[in-house]
Amino acid sequence: MVDIDRTIELIKNSKHVPEEDVKEICQKVQEILIEESNVQLIYPPIVVCGDIHGQLHDLLILFEKNGQVPNSKYLFLGDFVDRGFYSVETFLLLISLKLRYPDRIYLVRGNHESRSITMVYGFYDECLRKYGSVNVWRYCCEVFDYLSLGALIYGSNSSGGDGTGNGVFCIHGGLSPYIEYVDQIKHIDRKKEVPHEGAMCDLLWSDPDDVPAWAVSPRGAGYLFGENEVKKFLYSNKLNLIARAHQLVMEGYKELFNGGLVTVWSAPNYCYRCGNVAAVLRIDDYLNRDYGLFDAAIKDVDAIPSKNPAAEYFL
Amino acid sequence: MGYITPVRRILTAPDLEKWKESPTYDSVVSFIETLAEAVKGKTNDAECEVSLPVSQVLLVLDDVEKSIDKFPVIQDKNTSRFGKVEFRDFYDEITQISKGLLSSRIPKLQLHNDGKTDNDENNEHCNNEHCNHDNDDDDDDPLTEICVYFNESWGNRTRIDYGSGHELNFMCFLLCLVKLHVLDLEKDATAIILKIFIKYMKIMRNLQQKYWLEPAGSHGVWGLDDYHFLPFLFGASQLSTHPHLKPKSIHNKEYVDMFKDKYLYFHCIWFINSVKTASLRWHSPMLDDISGVRTWSKVAEGMIKMYKAEVLNKLPIIQHFFFGKILPAPEGVSRPPSSTTTTATTAHTHNGETVVDPDSNEGLPGHVHTWGDCCGIKLPSAIAAHQLEAASKPIPFD
Repeated sequence: MVDIDRTIELIKNSKHVPEEDVKEICQKVQEILIEESNVQLIYPPIVVCGDIHGQLHDLLILFEKNGQVPNSKYLFLGDFVDRGFYSVETFLLLISLKLRYPDRIYLVRGNHESRSITMVYGFYDECLRKYGSVNVWRYCCEVFDYLSLGALIYGSNSSGGDGTGNGVFCIHGGLSPYIEYVDQIKHIDRKKEVPHEGAMCDLLWSDPDDVPAWAVSPRGAGYLFGENEVKKFLYSNKLNLIARAHQLVMEGYKELFNGGLVTVWSAPNYCYRCGNVAAVLRIDDYLNRDYGLFDAAIKDVDAIPSKNPAAEYFL
Repeated sequence: MGYITPVRRILTAPDLEKWKESPTYDSVVSFIETLAEAVKGKTNDAECEVSLPVSQVLLVLDDVEKSIDKFPVIQDKNTSRFGKVEFRDFYDEITQISKGLLSSRIPKLQLHNDGKTDNDENNEHCNNEHCNHDNDDDDDDPLTEICVYFNESWGNRTRIDYGSGHELNFMCFLLCLVKLHVLDLEKDATAIILKIFIKYMKIMRNLQQKYWLEPAGSHGVWGLDDYHFLPFLFGASQLSTHPHLKPKSIHNKEYVDMFKDKYLYFHCIWFINSVKTASLRWHSPMLDDISGVRTWSKVAEGMIKMYKAEVLNKLPIIQHFFFGKILPAPEGVSRPPSSTTTTATTAHTHNGETVVDPDSNEGLPGHVHTWGDCCGIKLPSAIAAHQLEAASKPIPFD
């Protein structure tokens, strides 16, 4: 039996977590995630966070600044892994917290929580390096398939303030031309690898842009959508905000379309070079927004043992 | 001669296997190996003969370099994106002037030249059987092909990014010049690296820093480098006979400063240190590992193996490789993707007018593309295209 509190402490000190423990945590967290619906209903107050991309020490700063779990409630909008040095530890910390405090932290799937993407963008290589085999990568990918696709945050004030809506739709990427109502997302069979096209793909891949209507995305997956699509979606679903992540914004967050949509980015100095600040979106009981900015952790690498040096080409 | 507008042909895993066995693959590898061998033990400033064609290519690069100054970055407080949009103006300029530039600077490339490529014979077969480009046989302008590689060498217009695939396009551009007997590999190999490639690196560093190009398809810390591969490969070869410098010398700041202008490898380390925070161990574990290898000659050997495995053998990169007559497609690979089946191609211009941004050509329901035949390429039938689409959806960009 894994001691989850001890594991959380291990990770926070960037110590190695044994493979057997990873396996057990991954299996157990699936049992919790499978019970969650595709779009989780969550009540505020809550801290909404964007991409982390393996920047563990910055994630620890995020918790320090906004309150530790379970004192504060969190929603993470995906892209926990790839690119950074500590994707394994980042993902393990988040799912360990989920296991320990299932009602105090919610995890939504990002486009990087996928087998094909992690094989290209670093997480696969990292697992191989740190554990000497791809088992840990496999366990984590199975968890990816159970992550929910989005969340709805409902305000406790049912009158909805300005009368236009009373809720925040939270998603990693954005809207899909196949999804007019949030309810339609519930019909998706989410427990699979992220498909190359269709509603599930779009929700994880799309981006807002200055376009008059649905447009092709330069990413090769998902769509670009504009103010019209956002207005329509908010109106149809009686919402007042779409909160999403997926794109680096130098200021940490960026509101678009008269405040109808916000991009939140939570990886400061992305890839150790972009020089951006990071942000979280704090939503109170009345759905008021407050952004918390933070900078990168000033810390150098700790000794995470690697079992499989990358220099195999050079032997 | 029948040049064609180069097209992507490696779309599936079986295509990739055919690519690895193909003559074009072999000629790319042998080109890079020959160049690496030619700079063994030579510093950047080593004496080497600069032939007339090499100097002509350098003039082209001078012109590219000058174009950069025409498009300063206007600091827009309202833009939150990382990459600077003015890069697109630079890119458009290059695609508009490249044909004229190459033909005026390199007279041997002018239309109706008698240059025959090494591939003339085996090309005919491939072209007719698989490419379906019958109408192109009267195109005797090699620039139709060369310009595509040249234009692709500077990064992606839409995504404002750059990666080892773009770097590979520059090598293809040079390889075309060799195959057309503009450059003579036997005589020019050293100058191709010490003059042309170093100049190209200078331009790329300028573009990367000025327009904040994003790393294309980056593995993050788990890759060799955000942007480049080949300066490490050629650089390790430069160092492979050095009596004192060791791979671990990259950790010595004084050495890095002292040798950054002498060896490509040290310049790369210097550049990374200058743009990244924290230590090399953290942001570049791969380079840190390689620094533990005992000798530079081992590093140089490994770099060739790694280049094949991590660049030439990787579908996410090779799905964007262009094939024409000069660099022919492997036999039996997929037909060129149609408008509804490709993903990222970079925008190109015809007569200065942007025809399409094929980077964003994922067909919307009911959305009809008309650009597919803009280059005179006959598209596969709609049914074939549909089958192809089902078979191969390229890996999207993060």
